[in-house]
Amino acid sequence: MNITIIQIVLTVCIALIAVYMYVRLRSGLFDVILIVLFFTAGVFFVLFPETTNKIAHFVGVSKGANLLLYSAILFLFFLILKLYSRLRRVEEKFTELVRNKSIEEAEEFDKKN
Amino acid sequence: MTDNKSIFVIIPCYNEAKVIRNTVNEVLEKGYTVVIVDDCSKDHSRRQLSGLPVYYLHHRVNMGQGASLQTGIEFAKRKGAKYFVTFDADGQHDINDVPGMVAYLEKENADIVFGSRFLQGAKTNVSRSRSFALNLGRYISYLVSGIMLSDSFNGLRLFSKQTADKIKIRENRMVHPVEFLVLTAANKLKHVEYPVSIHYSDYSRAKGLKNSDGIKILFEMFLYKIFR
Repeated sequence: MNITIIQIVLTVCIALIAVYMYVRLRSGLFDVILIVLFFTAGVFFVLFPETTNKIAHFVGVSKGANLLLYSAILFLFFLILKLYSRLRRVEEKFTELVRNKSIEEAEEFDKKN
Repeated sequence: MTDNKSIFVIIPCYNEAKVIRNTVNEVLEKGYTVVIVDDCSKDHSRRQLSGLPVYYLHHRVNMGQGASLQTGIEFAKRKGAKYFVTFDADGQHDINDVPGMVAYLEKENADIVFGSRFLQGAKTNVSRSRSFALNLGRYISYLVSGIMLSDSFNGLRLFSKQTADKIKIRENRMVHPVEFLVLTAANKLKHVEYPVSIHYSDYSRAKGLKNSDGIKILFEMFLYKIFR
């Protein structure tokens, strides 16, 4: 099996992301299993790209790369929605904080005078 | 008869140092209670208010007009307000419209009165292009909320304590006029419209929304519709 440069680069990148996820974000048992699973799947598809073609053919897409692109777009879109709704929740809480502070201050000022 | 002190006029304020004192004085002359919500102004708007008998609330961080209104509403509730008025700081509204709105709300036994510059009897110097933008806006508001007003982006509204308990503005920035409508529909509030004057000065024209901001509002409305 000939290993190309891109395969090395991608494998290293996937490994780095996996390590980063483990160290910085999640380290529960379930998370570790997930990370290992993603890592293995990622590296497997990088080293044996023909398998993605087989899967693609199976679901009716002409090339593995295309299938990857379609699912990546869907996944990223889902991620954006998720992040945006998280952002809104955070903003709501933050607003509540600023609001309560301003009301408290006004009440205090009112009591003093 | 309603005691004017129990009518709380909520004025969100962001960098309105030039005009805020004038606006507030006109409201105070009528004997209404004034709640200023300073949305973290950078121009020392507060100094302009020194010595005036108003409630002054200060957001430590700029949050937007919708958030300011909600802060004012919550504060007024705590202070036992009977009626709540939302009022712009830039001097475009006429406080003399408020007694008529109160009377109309009581006569119609309504929950909320929306001011309208496009009803018969309203005085306004609104420009053609702005009229067009507002007209478009009211159709879009209708699509979102199911309520058709003649002037859905008018800042002057009056509502009762019961309504204030039901309304919670969560759109911090510019979509709150539409959210008012959505909440009115969701809570099955009885709403009426009342003709009010809008006077655009050079100041309010320079400070206020541009027609092009409509695009931004549209986009926020779209997000609001999805994520509500």
